[in-house]
Amino acid sequence: MNKQQSKSNYESPCDSDNDWTNSSNDSKYSDSESSVPEWDSDVGDDGELVYIKIKYNNNAIEDTNTPLLENCETFKLRNNFKRSSTRRSTKGRIFKVLKVHKAKNADNSGKKKPVPQSDSSKKLEDDKSIVIQVSKNMIFNSEKNCQIEKLFGLSLATHPNGKILVVEDFLIEAYAIYTPRIKKGYYLQKVNGIEVNPYNINNVLQRIAEDPYNPKLTFETPKDVVTVDLFKLLTSKDIDNSIIQLLRDSMCSVLYICCNDVEYHNNDDKGVLYCYPRPYNQNFLYNTRGAYVTLCHLAPKSLGTSEPTTSTVLHNEKLINVTYTSHYNDLLLIAFPNKQLDLFAARRVTIDVVRMLEFLYGSLKSCFTKPNNVDKLDGMFCRMFGVLLFSDSNRDVAGNIDISTSRIEDLLGAHAVTLPLDIRVQVDDAITELEAADYREWTDDVENFQRLYTVIGSCLYYSEHLLSSHLQDEDLKEINAFLKLNGVLKLSVDKELEKLVVWKEVFINEHRKFNNSDDNDSRIPDGRWFLLVVGKGHFILATLMEAGGCTEDAVGATPPSPFYVEECESCLALLYEVGLDKYLSLWFSANTQPQLETSPEYLTKYGRKMRDVNSLKSDTALKSSTLKLSKQTLGDVKKRHNSSEQINVASNSSDTNASNYGSHHNLYAQWYNGSQKQYRHSSNLDISYSEDSNSLKSNSEISDDRVQGRRADREQKNRRESSGSDSDWDRQEVNRMGSSIDMSDIRKSLLNEIDRVTTHRITAGDDNVLFHFVQFESAKGILIAPVKNIDIQANNALYSYIIKTFRTACKRIHDLLQHSIRFKANQTSTNPLNKILIAVKEYGMLFQAPVQLLNQCGVNKKNSETFQFWVVGRVFSEPEPKELYLCYHESIPQDLTEVAYLLSYLE
Amino acid sequence: MSVIVIAIASESGVPIFSRKRGNNENIQFSTIASLHGINMFSKCHNLSMVDTHVDSGTIIWKEYCKSVTLIGIATGGLECDLELLLSCVHDVMVFSVGKKELENIKNIDQLKRDLRQCYPILDYLLESLDPNVVSSPFPTLVLDLIQSILCPQAQQLQQALDIYAENVTGRWACLAIHGHLVATSSDFTELDPREARLMLLLAAAQDGAPLRDTPVYLPQMSPDVAFRAVTCKLLADVYVIVICGATPPLSQIDEIVLQCWESYAQIIKEAKLVYPRNFPMSITFESSVLGILLININKRRCVFSRHLHTLNQKSRSISGAHRMDILRTFYVTTARDLAPELKVKVHKSEEAGGSTVQDQEDCICETYWTSEYHKCHGQRSGNMLCCVLYASTVHIHTMRMITNQILQELNTNKEIYW
Repeated sequence: MNKQQSKSNYESPCDSDNDWTNSSNDSKYSDSESSVPEWDSDVGDDGELVYIKIKYNNNAIEDTNTPLLENCETFKLRNNFKRSSTRRSTKGRIFKVLKVHKAKNADNSGKKKPVPQSDSSKKLEDDKSIVIQVSKNMIFNSEKNCQIEKLFGLSLATHPNGKILVVEDFLIEAYAIYTPRIKKGYYLQKVNGIEVNPYNINNVLQRIAEDPYNPKLTFETPKDVVTVDLFKLLTSKDIDNSIIQLLRDSMCSVLYICCNDVEYHNNDDKGVLYCYPRPYNQNFLYNTRGAYVTLCHLAPKSLGTSEPTTSTVLHNEKLINVTYTSHYNDLLLIAFPNKQLDLFAARRVTIDVVRMLEFLYGSLKSCFTKPNNVDKLDGMFCRMFGVLLFSDSNRDVAGNIDISTSRIEDLLGAHAVTLPLDIRVQVDDAITELEAADYREWTDDVENFQRLYTVIGSCLYYSEHLLSSHLQDEDLKEINAFLKLNGVLKLSVDKELEKLVVWKEVFINEHRKFNNSDDNDSRIPDGRWFLLVVGKGHFILATLMEAGGCTEDAVGATPPSPFYVEECESCLALLYEVGLDKYLSLWFSANTQPQLETSPEYLTKYGRKMRDVNSLKSDTALKSSTLKLSKQTLGDVKKRHNSSEQINVASNSSDTNASNYGSHHNLYAQWYNGSQKQYRHSSNLDISYSEDSNSLKSNSEISDDRVQGRRADREQKNRRESSGSDSDWDRQEVNRMGSSIDMSDIRKSLLNEIDRVTTHRITAGDDNVLFHFVQFESAKGILIAPVKNIDIQANNALYSYIIKTFRTACKRIHDLLQHSIRFKANQTSTNPLNKILIAVKEYGMLFQAPVQLLNQCGVNKKNSETFQFWVVGRVFSEPEPKELYLCYHESIPQDLTEVAYLLSYLE
Repeated sequence: MSVIVIAIASESGVPIFSRKRGNNENIQFSTIASLHGINMFSKCHNLSMVDTHVDSGTIIWKEYCKSVTLIGIATGGLECDLELLLSCVHDVMVFSVGKKELENIKNIDQLKRDLRQCYPILDYLLESLDPNVVSSPFPTLVLDLIQSILCPQAQQLQQALDIYAENVTGRWACLAIHGHLVATSSDFTELDPREARLMLLLAAAQDGAPLRDTPVYLPQMSPDVAFRAVTCKLLADVYVIVICGATPPLSQIDEIVLQCWESYAQIIKEAKLVYPRNFPMSITFESSVLGILLININKRRCVFSRHLHTLNQKSRSISGAHRMDILRTFYVTTARDLAPELKVKVHKSEEAGGSTVQDQEDCICETYWTSEYHKCHGQRSGNMLCCVLYASTVHIHTMRMITNQILQELNTNKEIYW
């Protein structure tokens, strides 16, 4: 009954405990009348809002690496169970339902030990594996009829990496068997000596059910399960001491010192305006601040150098990176443990922190001197350290925090992906419609209706990847920093959001600059600016709005306007309507633009042999099934291969060689059928591409009759739905995005092509030798790279090694190339630069995979073959500095200029 | 660029010396005191400053023997391993006054006076970092390597050195031409490469004196007991250095020198001709090769050469000194990764993160730079590391091929004798 209640609580749409707001009103419950938005009661006194509601019953693909577990019957039940009484799980979900949480804690306070996560950091289990024998005679009551619960009396969850089973809870009857030796969060490693994972657990259980002997379970202690329950931190005002202790232990710290004399003497704390974590005397940065302050004064005045940027210090046997940011006479110090955030990462994160603080408060000074702001700052820094240091994606399988996962893609800028053009047009169009904010839709009384806000621009993320940005470069950088450091982006990856609304007043870059320069001919109105973040599913849409100028002036505390929230929501709804969510989840796992070689062993001699054998097998299989594959197609393929291709194109040959014989289409044939293709044509690119041929059916269809089949259907549908659409109209449509004509029909028809995924190659040569790439434009703050979880998708030890090496090497290359970039950006630098390094524009390193790894991958049978790959970075200074990092197999030399050129076609 | 090294007695805070190179002003006493204060203060809080970065520069503190604190400040885009520099400075200090003296400072004024004799060596060290004086006659272009000349006569000279060392009851002797190591006695390898380099520096610092002996403490081998280093000028720019005991007296050594070396004058003159090419004439290089830095990793010896082609030296656009600087910068910032064993030991307390980096460095086998005006390529083959400077027109794959060829030739050529 109790459970039922909590369930209904959860499902009520206005369960305001789902938020992480700082609003103080206690009576959060509100009616779900249609006129009052569900987040209304969460709006804080200052008008700011953070409202999050997470979808739990997600049948949709949550992530591309969703384990098969979701499909196993036992685990489905498990999921259901989880939903009805959500609790702390080691899956490390960032946000949880507090109310349920509390209720559960209250329920079990008598029976269950407090949660293991917070104290486990200090505890070191010496023997890693623990064996528990469970009597066969015991059959546990499992309400869910779950096999595992019945047999063992415990419930399991999947580790976020999808490869490990984690103990989530014990049934009450079984509690005595396991505790105190096994704790929640431990890994189930073996059953009767058989290693288990989410994929084979059902089979293993089946065997055990038939086996007459008592099953033996082997558990493994997770080495370092420091999981910060961020949600708790974010919701409650008084931060749990254990979490502060955790941050203190890991030497995270923030200190803001005011060094001008007046305030120094007036302040009780000798000029320290902000210190986190507190108490002061336990904060190592506070205790040693004298050293940093002195150094900061001494370096420019007496040593003739610039102010210090970073210090690496050794404290309690831990290396800590301290970064300096000075603001007039004040000094902001941030400390990160070197183990989790190396110097490279610490520098970049600090830049982002400063960006975010200035964006939210106008300046560092006002950030730390704003009255009653300490709680908010505490929460923010706590979130920041939590996201950076303790989120699960930073861990490897054993739970160790992996330094190399402070990935260069995350640090440099907003991670964008190269979506196909027609998809980008869709996205841009939806956002443009939002930005136009045509308020005629809202009211009939147009005359007396003045806009509240002008939309300055917006950007759209999907699962932490930037899809589109209509913002100024600086605004994008700041918004990206805000979303990243507050964990909003991470949340959108980990969870499927049902609703997320964040509303904050911000100080845009342009306005700050204007204030500083006192330049009177600025065109910026003297208004106020607000950031509205709306999320749904894995989408995050951030919109920057301006009040003032032609709109109504915002006075006092300004809560979010339901109109604009709804408008943003409807923008996202539009994207859902056209099926973009489904398309993207497919696209993100498709590895297409450009295609990467995620099975690097195929590039070795032995690997080639293996592949040939494999493909021969499947080739014959294919032939027998598709004799229909006409000669005409094959001839066509040859012709295409002979012609000089601007972009190397290959079918999505994820499975076999044979699928290379996909049907290759002339672009123009495609264009006359599909409406949006025209855009490509109009830009006069000689791009050829092939269609995906994963489905043999489509293969044969297309090859039988190239203009008929699915495309013909589509075309007909096009004609039917958008009656009278001809190419002229299309052209106009494309060129003038954001026209008021409803395009949803066309959108639908376009996204019907989901299963047709075009793949491109950007490296030269017959084989695809590209393992990874990153292209970074520092001015825009955008970097283009393959999807973040590509190494997880590949699930290949050698590939993971390559990517890890790539990311580490990139940091070094990036640092070296900065000399050139800085020199070109600012010729009259006061600090003389090394005159040799400023000329370096390309830096390459050839790596060799270790022999053990090759043996492990079964490539290197006779220790004869080496596996070498290049990591090369190059800076292009014209027209804007652009850095390209490439990781490819040594067998085919690549010219980075060419690669950059081909890559630019994909953009 | 500028580099400053300050030595302070840790306990008393008395400045021992400060040496600088570059365009910066002299460091004030108050600044030294503040810098020391920062270190002392943080030490009180169980915190040690490992390093501090400023814009294109670094500041580090390092305490040696628990008694002397060295502070190094490098700015202005100087690419050097400051930590390595400080440990070299410390070596020099031990070399001239002994470890005991440094560990247990009794009379600080006496120590200051004693250390004054190593100023020339320190200044050479700092000077060699300055790219503007790469052509200085006292080459320590790369702090951690001994600059050498490869000449066909090295084997014969070794015999002479062996005899000479025996006659003066020493074991370790070497011959230097233009400050480059040319030949060594057979036992010379027993010395730590850093000690060997100190000997060369000593010879360079005593420029002009025909025969001189100096008490030296070998930092690794005998930091507490002094040996006698005898430097003897054979010809112009040619020195022979030997480390021996208290006997025989200098006057006797003078005779022994004459006895041992008279017959080798011709060979030495031939060997001298190898400079400044530094490679035997039998080894030829492609015309696109503008400069080369060859490193024998085990012996910590390196050979720089920018005079590879006998003709048309002037026609090149890049000046010789600049070429050396490019190669040196390439080595210091980039190519040293190819030989992780050359790196100074990282902090003992470096956590797991450090070890993974180490693992990755182990498997770099080639590296290159492309700049507007030139290309650099570094490749390792076994014990040899070769950094080559190419004209910017050379393609990367050509570059790799040529470097490979050079390495093969250098590994097989019989005239090369380290």
